[in-house]
Amino acid sequence: MTDLDKIIASLREGKHIPEETVFKLCLNSQELLMNEGNVTHVDTPVTICGDIHGQLHDLLTLFEKSGGVEKTRYIFLGDFVDRGFYSLESFLLLLCYKLRYPDRITLIRGNHETRQITKVYGFYDEVVRKYGSSNVWRYCCEVFDYLSLGAIINNSIFCVHGGLSPDMTTVDEIRTIDRKQEVPHEGAMCDLLWSDPEDVDTWSLSPRGAGFLFGKREVDQFLEKNGVELIARAHQLVMEGYKEMFDGGLVTVWSAPNYCYRCGNVAAVLKIDDDLNREYTIFEAVQAQNEVGNAIIPTKKSQMDYFL
Amino acid sequence: MSLPGTPTTSPTPMDEDIEQTVSINSEPKRVKVYVLENNEWKDTGTGFCVGEVDESKFAYLVVSDEDSPNETLLKSKLEGNIEYQRQEETLIVWKDLAGKDIALSFEESMGCDALCEFIVHVQRNIESNISLVTVKSSDNGLGSVHDIITGPVTLPSNDPEQNGQTLLEALKILNENTSFDFLKNETIEFILQSNYVDTLISHFHNAEEEKIPKDLFLLSNIIKTLILYNQRDILESMVEDDRIMGIVGILEYDTEYPTSKANHRKYLESRGPNFKEVIPLENEDLKIIMKKCFRLQFLKDVVLVRFLDDHNFSLISEIVMDLETCIIDFLQVGTFLDRLIVLYDTNTLPDSSSEREKFVQKRKDGIRLLQQCVQMSISLDALDRSKFYKTLVRKGLFKVLDYAFHMETDSNVRILATDTIITIIEHDILLIHNVQNEDSFKQQHKLAPDDKCSSRNNAQDYSYSTDSKLLLILSTILLSDKSPGLREQVVQALNTLLHPEGCLGNNEGSCDLMGRCSNESKDTSEDFPSFGYGLNSDSINLNNYHYNNDDMNDLDATESEFKFQVKEYFANFYNRIAPILFEPLIKRENIPKMSERSGKIKKTRKDDLLLIHLVKLVSFVCTEHDRVLSRRFILENGILDSVSKLINSNHILQLRLTAVRCIKNIICLDDKYYHRYMISKNLYSPIFKLLQENIDKNNLANSCIQDFFRIIITECRVHQGDNHNRGEDGNGTHNISINIAKVKSNSNRTNFTILNKYLVQTYGNVLRKATYIPFIQDMLEIGEENQPEHSSFENSLEGDTDSVNISSDGLTSNHLEDIDVKNVKRLHSEIEHFGDDPHYSSDKLAFKKSVDQMNAST
Repeated sequence: MTDLDKIIASLREGKHIPEETVFKLCLNSQELLMNEGNVTHVDTPVTICGDIHGQLHDLLTLFEKSGGVEKTRYIFLGDFVDRGFYSLESFLLLLCYKLRYPDRITLIRGNHETRQITKVYGFYDEVVRKYGSSNVWRYCCEVFDYLSLGAIINNSIFCVHGGLSPDMTTVDEIRTIDRKQEVPHEGAMCDLLWSDPEDVDTWSLSPRGAGFLFGKREVDQFLEKNGVELIARAHQLVMEGYKEMFDGGLVTVWSAPNYCYRCGNVAAVLKIDDDLNREYTIFEAVQAQNEVGNAIIPTKKSQMDYFL
Repeated sequence: MSLPGTPTTSPTPMDEDIEQTVSINSEPKRVKVYVLENNEWKDTGTGFCVGEVDESKFAYLVVSDEDSPNETLLKSKLEGNIEYQRQEETLIVWKDLAGKDIALSFEESMGCDALCEFIVHVQRNIESNISLVTVKSSDNGLGSVHDIITGPVTLPSNDPEQNGQTLLEALKILNENTSFDFLKNETIEFILQSNYVDTLISHFHNAEEEKIPKDLFLLSNIIKTLILYNQRDILESMVEDDRIMGIVGILEYDTEYPTSKANHRKYLESRGPNFKEVIPLENEDLKIIMKKCFRLQFLKDVVLVRFLDDHNFSLISEIVMDLETCIIDFLQVGTFLDRLIVLYDTNTLPDSSSEREKFVQKRKDGIRLLQQCVQMSISLDALDRSKFYKTLVRKGLFKVLDYAFHMETDSNVRILATDTIITIIEHDILLIHNVQNEDSFKQQHKLAPDDKCSSRNNAQDYSYSTDSKLLLILSTILLSDKSPGLREQVVQALNTLLHPEGCLGNNEGSCDLMGRCSNESKDTSEDFPSFGYGLNSDSINLNNYHYNNDDMNDLDATESEFKFQVKEYFANFYNRIAPILFEPLIKRENIPKMSERSGKIKKTRKDDLLLIHLVKLVSFVCTEHDRVLSRRFILENGILDSVSKLINSNHILQLRLTAVRCIKNIICLDDKYYHRYMISKNLYSPIFKLLQENIDKNNLANSCIQDFFRIIITECRVHQGDNHNRGEDGNGTHNISINIAKVKSNSNRTNFTILNKYLVQTYGNVLRKATYIPFIQDMLEIGEENQPEHSSFENSLEGDTDSVNISSDGLTSNHLEDIDVKNVKRLHSEIEHFGDDPHYSSDKLAFKKSVDQMNAST
């Protein structure tokens, strides 16, 4: 069993990973991720997965229900961290798989993979609880900056976390971004991670305060201009796990069942076969288990020593 | 007392004050009396209405005829479960026990108020089962809104003998009672005044012992429902010493996880109440507050984390914050901080080795404690924070930091010390400086003869050195400590300390002070043309960095004093700190002493990680600091030469790309001196080697370089007025810049067109291999255009003799407007800004620059 396999086993059990190990993992991941383009090429067959949000046990279910990384190729559309209580383990597990099976996992950056957002929505807090300092959070944020902004499957399916940008409407243009940075508050890089499809006539302001709303017209133009047939994205909770829009030109995939441990939704992944057929797999939240198979209740770790 | 299983009805406080009933027999109010007959309201006359309570304590509404006062129009007993409805302002309507519908229409709403008060009084004291509700039409005019003013309240049974039935009933009642404020408030009153929660806890122990899962889950749901009442006193009462274990015990059961149980009690027993007391707390009240605070956080973060809604969450956070404010206040009052800080006096180390070991551990824990206090203070309001930090600094925080950075070797402890300092300087960067100044003032004036400043031996020393001492410490740590986490933190601290806007605090309108300084200090900028890129300078002349402050007379004293301090501060940084901080990037041949040492430095990956931080800091000082000051340092020390060398392939790619980004950030400054320097020294060459390595690859290096070209071509297009390639951009935001660019299109020799021409001429062969990049073709076209030598726009800048020649590579430089570029900055991507930083897109950049150029030339 290699070191990496050992770490993977520990992560799957939700065990504590030493800080130095995390640092090494992060550094090695940087090297791997730097070799990928802003929009990285992926071959079929491949399984597309949406938001995970630190729900480690549901991530394990996802792998179980969809074939497992040993046999299947995956694209994760971002938002690995925040909200759930196991952001660190979820993200590190994906990094380890990436290091272990580089051509079988593609990780795309979500709007939560940033310093500012993770400080507010849980990941930062989780790391401080688990380690007593923010170092591990810093290492992970550095890796976030190296994540791809999108992927393209067989030159036919464009994958991105949020959606489209009015500033850059071709894949070639997206390649001109120097992506190694904190996600800006505006501009193409921001839009790709923040935008949402909506029933609108043209680019519209997003209620999220970042990115845009885009409609069928924008999707059709993008598909035509880039010679692709589908945009696969995540970023929005779908109670049914997935939702196709605009005559099937766009799909939202959501992979965090019972989001925030209380939304009651199911999750989905989308498998694309060699003929670009789409096959959705739906799964529900299951009770989390510890290393010896006993059921556990997901919760935050309490803070470390209390000196006052 | 009711039987188990039967809800008790209305134990509303029976206020025995019969006298009050007399006063209720108030002045008669004019009213019309209606009764409903055959579905029509029939007017039965007009009279005066009073509420009456007779000797046998029966209550009535009585109306006597206004024309013949002895005749009674109505005498209706308040009894049974009659519901009185107040409709709008002046109507009271009810159905009496005989089934008769009666309405009183008051002349004025005051009259109606008085009789409603009477009904409330009767409900509370005599007939507890009657009720009064109000009915108003809802805001949209459709339908109506009911509210309960008074009435019987059903409450859970507080019988000591509880069972599944009573609990189920209680849960139902508690949920229903949330629907009206009146019921909710009465219920809250009941919970607080009775021992209901204790009854539940005691039943919990039975149910757990007898293993009755149904009761356990019901109890858990009841407690959760009580928490949803979102009432501060209830929450606080739940975390009291005698309840907390029962409450978290009950909450270990969760219907969502029917087969599991959490182990909150175990956690609390093993760690919770046992606080590590580094310094014994003398104040018992403080201990109670701390326990409360800890327990509430535990409830919020662990026990109830999946359950709390936003309201609960913010209420608990609010309580915690109040308690924390209290704790921080308490800590400042007694001798606690003094007793803590005395640990770090240098001469207090015990003799025996075992004692010494304990003592060293105590010092470590003390730093943890301090960090925790400072961390806690983050949620306080700004004034309280300032007050606390000032107290810390006055009491001798620096002694602790000195210890952490000089004596302590554990990186983890150093990290906490750095974290503490970051929190303070990010709150108010001048706070430490000001407190220290105030100390020195006191010392000079002998105002505080007993003030022990043992850590500072030399009064003269800290007139300027307190801030630089911190900078120096941090710089040394960055260069020497290998812990990557600590390095990152130190860099964050340096960024904060070196941010000119941070130094200016919230002083409105002075955000560009550093920029203004450079414009106003004419002496300095006129000196500049003679400055020869540092090639011939042996050492840095410290005096050159001193500013002339003649032009400050018109500012008020404080501001100019302040401004002066900022200037001093930065001058000092470049004189004393920067040569140490950037030592690994300082060109060796300039500093022979260093080159000897550098031989020993191994080129390892770890060094590359350090260099990444340093190169980012170079980007930062170049873009954020006063241009004259920073540029002089950068160029005299050959920093950019070193940065450019780091792009070469013997370094890790992360560093190579960081170096490319640094170069990109510097060209974005649109600074002619930098531009000429980098061309004349051939600093772009490694970028093209890197491009060749990655020419056909779809990877980050390739994108990073594409971005570099995009910056250049975007700027060239603006200056060329060449807009035909930009039609694709779609959203029309370029129009303004294009128009302005047209105005300026005659001045086509800008930093960027020169750079483009240079790159095309020097590296055209590489560029031609990369024509798949969308704008390379444009670069080649623009670069190959024949540019008129000594173009005509030189004439437009008459009177300015500031022309510099770069002849080394045959480029004749025209002199350019010294455009005001302080606002033209690109988001330098690798510098981490934790606050909001304006992000200038390339469009805005172009626009701003055009405007600035127009201003400069008019």
